[in-house]
Amino acid sequence: MWIENVVCPFCGCLCDDIAVEVEDNRIKSVKRACSNGRSVFLHAPTEARRPVVDGKEVDWPDAIDAAARILMKSASPLIYGLSSTASEAQRKAIALADLLGASIDSTSSICHGPTSIGIQSQGEPTCTLGEVKHRSDLVIFWGCNPVEAHMRHFARYSVLARGKFTPQGRKDRTVVVVDVRPTLTARNADIFLQLRPGSDYEVLITLRAMLKGARLDVAEVGGVSVAQLADLVERMKRCRFGVVFFGMGVTQTGGKHWSIAELVALAAELNAHTRFNVMPMRGHGNVAGADCTLTWQTGYPFAVNFARGYPQYNPGEFTAVDLLARQEVDAALIIASDPMAHLPRQAAEHLNRIPTIVLDPEMNLTARVARVVLPTAIYGISAVGTAYRMDNIPLPLKKVVNSPQPTDEQVLDWIIERVKT
Amino acid sequence: MGCISCAGFVIAMSETDAVTLRLKEPTTIPIEADSICPDLFVGRSQAGIESLPAFYGRRKVTLGDLFTVEGENSDQVIVEGALRYVKKIGQRMTRGRVVVRGDVGLHLGAYMRGGEIVVEGNAGDWAGAHMQGGRIWIRGNAGHLLGAAYRGEKRGMNGGVIIVEGNAGREVGALMRRGLIVVLGDVDEFAGVRMITGSIFVSGRLGARAGAGMKRGTIVAFADHAELLPTFRYDCRFQPTFLRCYLLQLHAWGMSIDDDRLEGFYRRYHGDLTTLGKGEILIYDQR
Ligand code: SF4
Repeated sequence: MWIENVVCPFCGCLCDDIAVEVEDNRIKSVKRACSNGRSVFLHAPTEARRPVVDGKEVDWPDAIDAAARILMKSASPLIYGLSSTASEAQRKAIALADLLGASIDSTSSICHGPTSIGIQSQGEPTCTLGEVKHRSDLVIFWGCNPVEAHMRHFARYSVLARGKFTPQGRKDRTVVVVDVRPTLTARNADIFLQLRPGSDYEVLITLRAMLKGARLDVAEVGGVSVAQLADLVERMKRCRFGVVFFGMGVTQTGGKHWSIAELVALAAELNAHTRFNVMPMRGHGNVAGADCTLTWQTGYPFAVNFARGYPQYNPGEFTAVDLLARQEVDAALIIASDPMAHLPRQAAEHLNRIPTIVLDPEMNLTARVARVVLPTAIYGISAVGTAYRMDNIPLPLKKVVNSPQPTDEQVLDWIIERVKT
Repeated sequence: MGCISCAGFVIAMSETDAVTLRLKEPTTIPIEADSICPDLFVGRSQAGIESLPAFYGRRKVTLGDLFTVEGENSDQVIVEGALRYVKKIGQRMTRGRVVVRGDVGLHLGAYMRGGEIVVEGNAGDWAGAHMQGGRIWIRGNAGHLLGAAYRGEKRGMNGGVIIVEGNAGREVGALMRRGLIVVLGDVDEFAGVRMITGSIFVSGRLGARAGAGMKRGTIVAFADHAELLPTFRYDCRFQPTFLRCYLLQLHAWGMSIDDDRLEGFYRRYHGDLTTLGKGEILIYDQR
C-alpha cells in the first residue's frame, strides 16, 4: 500500500511530499526522499524492545520507577536533547523540568543557539519557505552547505524551485555562496565569496557599514576585496526579494551570536530598499520546534533553569555543554539525541559519570552508557506528532507503520506521574 | 564620560564587626546565594542571617545549611571557602563591603548599586552585570561578560567601577551604558561590544573586535598595539586631558600608574561606523 504526502522527519526541510510503500507493517520503498530521508524510513526499527536498567531488561513500570528515582534523588538534574522528538513530547519534557526544578536545554545550544541570542538582540526579518520559492530572486547561503546537509532544499524551496514569480526556477535567481571553503553548494553558485576562516563578523559589519554609505579605510576584509563586497551590497539593494540562509559556519565560528546580530541587522536595514529576510538552516527535524515550544512554555528558546520555581534563562550558564563541563549537574535525562557522540570531551566525560536516562528509538552511544534506557517509537514513522520546519511552520507527522513501543510523550507522562506520587 | 569619584569611598573594615560566612563543604552543585548581601545582614541576628534562603541546586535551603555564620548585624561581610560554584554573591547590594577570600562563582555583584566587593581570587562570568554603582575589585582574573548585559537586555553596566588586576574574558562591558572598567591584564575579543557609553581601560592586550557596534564611549588600550575592526577610522594623535584625571584617581586608589601613560600621546580612532560612530578607541603611542 502506498501512503502519499508523508512528512520526512529527518532534517529541518521536513519535506511533506514523500510517498511510502508499506507491506506487512514494513516500509518497502520510499519515493521522492533524499538519501538521508530514505535511509531513515527504510531502517526504522519496528521490532519490540524492552527497557533496560543497569544493563538488564526490565518491564516498563520498573524502568519508569528507576528513572523517577534517579531524577528525584538528584539535586541538579538536566533534561537535554529534544531536537528529534515531536513538540507534544517537548512540552511534556518542559513540564517535567518545571516539576523537578531542572535545567532544560535543546541541541540548539550547540548549533543555532547563537542565532536565538542574535535574534533576541536584533529582531528577525523572516518569511516562510513558500515565499522563498515563489518570490526570491537573490538567494545567499552563508556558512551552510545544503547540497550535502539539506539535500532537497535547492529543489523544493530555494534555488531550483519554480514559483509564481519565479517561473523559470534557477534562471530567475542569483545564487551567492559565502563560505570558507569551496563546498558542493558553492559549485552551484553564481558568485562565491571565499572568506578567511573566522572573519564572518568583519565581513558582515563591513557590509552593513557600506550599506549605510560609510567611508572605510580598508581595501580588503576577510580575504575579500571591498569592490566585491560593494557589488554584493548593490545586488542586495537591487533585488526584488532577497534571503540569506545561514548555518553553523557562522553560528559556531568567530563572532558567533554577534555575527548573527550583524547579519540580521543587515537584512533588517535592507528592507529600506527592498524585501529581505534571513533564515537559519536548522539541522534536526524538529529542532526549530524545540525553540518554539520552549519559548511558548517558558518565554525562552533554550538554556532554561527551573531551580527557583520560575524559568531563568542564561546561555553559557544553563546550556548543557557548560553545565556538564563545569560538573554542575548530577543526573541527566536525554531525549532523542546522542550527546555522548557530539558534545565536547569534557562535557561527555561528566555525562558518562552521572546517572543518565535515555529516551530514544535507537541504541545510540549515549544509550550504551546510560543507567536507564527507554526505547520509544519514532515520530513521523511509527507515531503521530507535530514538528516545526526551519521556517517555524508546524507540520503534522504521520504514522506509517505500527510500533509496539510507547511514544516519548507517553513515557514522559509516566515519569511525571511517578515523580508526583 | 561618567563621574568616578563617587565610587571611591573605601571604608576601612574591622574584622571584629564583620559577619563571616564559611562554606561548609566544597561542592560542584551550583549554589545561588543572592542572600549574601550586606543590606540583608544589617539588623539581623546570627540566627536571622542563618535562616536567610539560598538554593542548593534545585533544593531550597538556608544560608545556615550551607555556611557557618559568625557575627551579626553588620554590612561588613567576609565569605570564605571553596566558592567557585557559589553564584550571585552581593547581588543587588547598595551598601557595605563584601570580601571574598578565594575564587568566586558567577554573577558576583550583579545589579549592585553601592558599596564595595573585593575578590581575593578569580571571579566567574557576569561579574558586575547590570551594575549601577559601587565598586568591584578583583585581584585575580575575571570571566566573560564582565559588567555586561544579560542576553536579550538592552543595556549592561550603568554606573560604578570594576577593577580587575588579572585578565578578563570575552565581551567585557557588552552594552555598557555608564561607568568604568579597568583591566590590568589582557581582555579577550568583543570588549565594549555595542556599548552605549562608558569607559573601558585595558593595560594588557586588547582583544580583537573591541568596540564592535559601539555608539559612544571610550576604550583605551595602554599597550601600543590593537587590532581594530574595519568600521573604525583614524582621527589624530593627541594627549587626552580627561585620561589624566582618571589615571590620577586610579593612582589615588593605590594603583601604580606609569608616567609614560599619564603624559603620553594616544592615537584616536572613531567608530563604529555602522551606528552613531561617536565611540572612540585610544591606543597609546609613546611619550
Ligand atoms: S531534505 Fe531533509 S526532510 Fe527532505 S527528504 Fe531529505 S532528509 Fe528528509
